[in-house]
Amino acid sequence: MKKALIHIGLIFTFIIIYLLQSIFFSGFTIAGVMPNIFIILMLYIGLYMGRTTGFIYGMIFGIFIDIWIGQTLGLTSFVLALIGTISGMLDRTFSKDSRIIVILMGVACTIIYEVTLYFLQFMINGINVEIFEFIKILLIEIVYNTLLIIILYPLMKFTGYEIENEVKGDKILTRYF
Amino acid sequence: MDKERKGGIIGIIVTTVILILLVIFTNTDSEKVSIIENIANNMVMPIENGLTYLKNKINNNDKFFENIEELKTENKSLKEKNSELEQQLREFEIIKNENAQLKEQLNLAEKYGEFTTVPGTIISRDISNYSKTLVINIGSDNGVQEKMTVIADEGLVGYVVTTTNKTAKIQTIIDSASATSCLASSTRDTMICKGTIENKPALSASNIATDARIIQGDSVETSGLGGIYVKGIHVGTIKKVNKGSNKTDSYATIETAVDFEKLETVLVITNQ
Repeated sequence: MKKALIHIGLIFTFIIIYLLQSIFFSGFTIAGVMPNIFIILMLYIGLYMGRTTGFIYGMIFGIFIDIWIGQTLGLTSFVLALIGTISGMLDRTFSKDSRIIVILMGVACTIIYEVTLYFLQFMINGINVEIFEFIKILLIEIVYNTLLIIILYPLMKFTGYEIENEVKGDKILTRYF
Repeated sequence: MDKERKGGIIGIIVTTVILILLVIFTNTDSEKVSIIENIANNMVMPIENGLTYLKNKINNNDKFFENIEELKTENKSLKEKNSELEQQLREFEIIKNENAQLKEQLNLAEKYGEFTTVPGTIISRDISNYSKTLVINIGSDNGVQEKMTVIADEGLVGYVVTTTNKTAKIQTIIDSASATSCLASSTRDTMICKGTIENKPALSASNIATDARIIQGDSVETSGLGGIYVKGIHVGTIKKVNKGSNKTDSYATIETAVDFEKLETVLVITNQ
């Protein structure tokens, strides 16, 4: 029962983030650059629910984003699934109790997401390569995402442990020793 | 524990404030910031003035003021000339405006007379920083089909990629994956206009013929080649011509006529 509620909650969060991203953040920018909250969402799912769930959610959310606004079906889906898997793997090596570590994970995920997506766009759609402009946008986006992670971290931590207890159950022991 | 929590809350508030300030400062026009600039300047100006005066004194630069009579007469004659020129400028301005207005009326009648259009409102913008797709609130129920040209009052916007019953997805011309075949209006030189990932409404025009005579400020329109866009729709104006290291890799920057940031309603041409 509680598990079902968690999944419904995640789907609602996804829809709210999509609306925020496409309506609110397209005007609320730092020097014309939007943040990408989907990366933060995938990091959150990967960290607290494991890499398999991260992968599946990445695929599903990505497909929806591609249908709603994307140009190539499956592109965002692949990259978001990648982020979900990577953040699931990061959880095994690093502690998510520290704010700094989570921020660094967010930075890493943003870089991986944007570079992979840009490379795939270049391969599939044949867009022009503008390295300097790309790095400029990427750096501002990293700053924006970092600020958002700092703001959202307490919420992520609080709800995250509840979810982790429910989903992973007995598998987590390390935190209590 | 309590102290830690308090610190956390303060941290969040500070970060939120920084975020909002960053957003405001990076998005306001430089004119609006000038109030702060003015205040800051007024604070240091008296000191600067005094120091400059002192420096001039030391360097014997105050000889300037010796031939003050001469300067006065020169000033007077220049002022007269200036007012004369200003009056001329005003007259030109009026004529220029009138010309622009007449041209616009003539163009609009010519441009939109032959097309049947359906108006639509933008309901969603792209979530990524590297592509610029739009979603509008009209779809196949309103007669919109794939590959139809989309325009705004000022000029070309893009074309319809996919449609559903009630919505249509548009790939704009400034999207980095978009390429439009264009013509320079006066010289009739062809070029391919590609979108960039920059946050400006600008295109980069390549594949320009080696003997082309592209002029800065010339307007650019669609050529009708490629089978998607209708011929003769205004795209923008040539802002800068960049000569490459050799003749074949010269390219031009084109400023689009449509302001994509403020775009709200578009027209879909249904009878192309």
